[in-house]
Amino acid sequence: MIKTQVLVIGSGPGGYTAAFRAADLGKNVTLIERHPSLGGVCLNVGCIPSKSLLHTAEVINESKHASDLGVTFSKPKINLEGVKKNKDSIVQKLTGGIQALAKARKVNVINGYAKFISKNQVVLDDSNEVIEFEQCVIAVGSRVTKFPMFPFEDKRVMDSTDALLLDDIPKRMLVVGGGIIGLEMATIYDALGSEITIVELGGQIIPAADKDIVSPLFKKAKKNYANVFLNTKVTSMSALKKGIKVEFEGKDAPKNDTFDKVLVAVGRTPNGNLVDADKAGVHVNESGFIETDRQMKTNVENIFAIGDVVGQPMLAHKAVHEAKVAAEVICGEKSGFDVLTIPSVAYTDPEVAWTGKTEKELKEKGIDYEKGVFPWAASGRSLSIGRSEGVSKALFDTKSGKILGMGICGTNAGDLISEASLAIEMGCDMSDIALTIHAHPTLSETTAFAAEMAEGTITDLMPPRKRK
Amino acid sequence: MPTQKNVELPDIGDFDAVDIIEVLVKVGDTVNENDSIITLETDKATMEIPAPFAGKVTALSVKVGDKVAKGDLILTLESESESAESLEETPESAQPVDQNSKSSLAQKNVELPDIGDFDAVDIIEVLVKVGDTVNENDSIITLETDKATMEIPAPFAGKVTALSVKVGDKVAKGDLILTLESESESAESLEETPESAQPVDQAKKDVASEVVTNIDEKNETFKEEISLNPDSNFHASPSIRKLARELGVSLSGIKGTGKKGRILDEDLKSHVKTLLENGTSVEEVEVIPLSRIKKLSGKHLSKCWSTIPHVTQFDEVNIEQLEKFRKHQKEKNIKLSPLVFIMKAVVQVLKRHPNFNASLDENAENLILKKYFNLGIAVDTPNGLLVPVIKDVGKKSLMELSEELAEVSLRAREGKLDSSEMKGAGFTISSLGGIGGTQFTPIINAPEVAILGVSRTQIKPIWNGSTFEPTSMIPLALSYDHRVIDGAEGARFMAELNQVLSNIMEMLL
Repeated sequence: MIKTQVLVIGSGPGGYTAAFRAADLGKNVTLIERHPSLGGVCLNVGCIPSKSLLHTAEVINESKHASDLGVTFSKPKINLEGVKKNKDSIVQKLTGGIQALAKARKVNVINGYAKFISKNQVVLDDSNEVIEFEQCVIAVGSRVTKFPMFPFEDKRVMDSTDALLLDDIPKRMLVVGGGIIGLEMATIYDALGSEITIVELGGQIIPAADKDIVSPLFKKAKKNYANVFLNTKVTSMSALKKGIKVEFEGKDAPKNDTFDKVLVAVGRTPNGNLVDADKAGVHVNESGFIETDRQMKTNVENIFAIGDVVGQPMLAHKAVHEAKVAAEVICGEKSGFDVLTIPSVAYTDPEVAWTGKTEKELKEKGIDYEKGVFPWAASGRSLSIGRSEGVSKALFDTKSGKILGMGICGTNAGDLISEASLAIEMGCDMSDIALTIHAHPTLSETTAFAAEMAEGTITDLMPPRKRK
Repeated sequence: MPTQKNVELPDIGDFDAVDIIEVLVKVGDTVNENDSIITLETDKATMEIPAPFAGKVTALSVKVGDKVAKGDLILTLESESESAESLEETPESAQPVDQNSKSSLAQKNVELPDIGDFDAVDIIEVLVKVGDTVNENDSIITLETDKATMEIPAPFAGKVTALSVKVGDKVAKGDLILTLESESESAESLEETPESAQPVDQAKKDVASEVVTNIDEKNETFKEEISLNPDSNFHASPSIRKLARELGVSLSGIKGTGKKGRILDEDLKSHVKTLLENGTSVEEVEVIPLSRIKKLSGKHLSKCWSTIPHVTQFDEVNIEQLEKFRKHQKEKNIKLSPLVFIMKAVVQVLKRHPNFNASLDENAENLILKKYFNLGIAVDTPNGLLVPVIKDVGKKSLMELSEELAEVSLRAREGKLDSSEMKGAGFTISSLGGIGGTQFTPIINAPEVAILGVSRTQIKPIWNGSTFEPTSMIPLALSYDHRVIDGAEGARFMAELNQVLSNIMEMLL
């Protein structure tokens, strides 16, 4: 039997962060991972490999448009093995780095599948080894939601993990789900040469974001892809020899169509039900989430949970922040999860990012707000990099002028959104942002311009309204 | 040729109805541009409203105590100013400022303004429908170009009576979007006399901006105060929230001293320190807003206390004679308090020391000597300290003073004092003798330069040359502005006051 002070189940960004922080605060820590490499979905089959492939896509797309800049490249030859090798080497570099950091901190890393047998013990599935812990952090994440109606047994029906393996480049590909994951994968396969069709059940792509923020991306998708069907349902999918036959129900979509490959990206399911949490007395709700308080404590005093398994949004950066809270609370610190905002980013082309409240949330809640919207067509930097689409929208409390939220669509939106997140955490007013000198020419200026649009102090465009 | 022109309350910020606490002009007065015409008081501050142009006051539409809001008529000026002349040429356009025209409605078209280099732009959203009431700057439609979407704001407020566009239409500059039924003056004047309305509008804007500058210049603290929005929740940055968690205190009861009410590290620490000193936890404190009088007088007092170099001179006065006289009168059922004698004696001494019955001008360069003898008397009221003024003390008898004092104090306590009754003192007396205490240091009520504090009379053994005699002694404290009054002068004033009070016959001199 292995004894440890702190046991962390799952080595994704949340899990390894919790383990490392607890170790740094003086605890003896054991980290269990069921896969051979550390890092969880994010590093192995999520954020990192997809970003590597998105960079490949960006290079391909840039080379296509280089002729506009007076530079002509010949049509790119895609060596799929080379693309995969690059992606895998980045993943290996990062997962190897985590392994090294674990070693340096003397975190005991065990490969195996842990299940609870009591509130102080887990057992490893294959070896039957029992690990006894004082405190535990459940960081078991989520998995792709697989509806039984889709024939996943056929290799031509993929989830995001399959799609990242990049087995081949299908001629015609359908992406089911117009959310962040579906659109990122569409960006990759489109650049590699697939003809993309996207089908989304809701009335807009990336339903969580404001429509006007998604609009530049939507327009580009409409132009570049074979089809984008909104308000459309996939009613059935069957694997035929010539392809995957998909039946649609929607105003604009055909009754059916056949695709070489289908990517199903319709959400993720938490893994709360996969670790026998009930044997420790930990409550798992109907959806598979484990509920916690703001110190990441479950209903069982010595057991904590963090990351995708505790709730939406299922984002690595949220998990990391929660992990630190859990580790610190375990180590006796009075830590708590009290952030005002968790930013969201779609690494599409152009990128879409938002933080704080969206405009539709403010409308729903009846909060009085003012907005400043700056179109990137007026940004010198954006035009210089050959991009005229994009928009920055900042939302402010009418009464106090305090920033409530921000949405950005455009190149590097994901990097630009952090300024707004900091502004929200610091309680900045529109004038705080407008009066901060932003370097020129940068894309970051668009954030200040959005604040100036709201303030009416903009000079690079006509101010939309005069303030009293 | 002169014209009659109305002056309305300009936009003064987020206030619905504001009290007029002072009307600074009367019919027949001639005012210059920017002369203050009325004083308003909000929860936060008082502000003076300047005349937007010069002229002679021909009618006053407000009085002290009225509540006014933006656009309310204040007064009418007979003016020869340029903007008034342009009004004159087209008398109709002067109508908008007339009360009558307010009720008449006008249909006014809203056309697409210049939105830049676009010929035909798609309408992707119509944000209003017929029957909706829109405010100025409310978005009415959303346009989409290749590059961006933009919302077009309503140029003025009104009710939508007709919509001329729908989603999917392409529009260009000058295209009719909708029709608004408007009550706004500017809209009306635009319709009737498009040319002449322009300068009027401009004049109004100038007035508004002048008002703002004026407020800023005259009252430095004004700006800061309105930015402290009492309705907005507290704000603390992530590191302060962390510290609060560590210290185990709730941030909600802490008043932030940082910019815009932000809770700072010091605020949190001093809050915790206070809690520890009091041995209480955060739940046991109660936050009670100060009364309006306290807030106002507090601001004035702290300014007086921090800007005037105070010296306080103490003395005790033998009032055996005075007490005997009072006792004698009392037997005849005439009640006189020591205060009325002190008032009389003070006036007697002020006559010989005019520097004490004076005020220092704003730049502290000139002393303004007062040729009248009005005394401010501090009165304790349930809502706070008030200082009514008793005028011409020198000309009134002890009896008259006694009656007036009783009457004024009563009204002060009932909150029925008029603000004019609290103005015009040359010197103030604060008597706490009825309550107790041996001495205190009163704060000078600027722009006055001195104040007398009176404490409780005590019977003390006083050496009369051969023996200790029980003697009624009244403690006095004279605070004076050392910029105006030297120490020797202060001591002399006190000595003479002592002389008069202890020998009441001298009051007759």
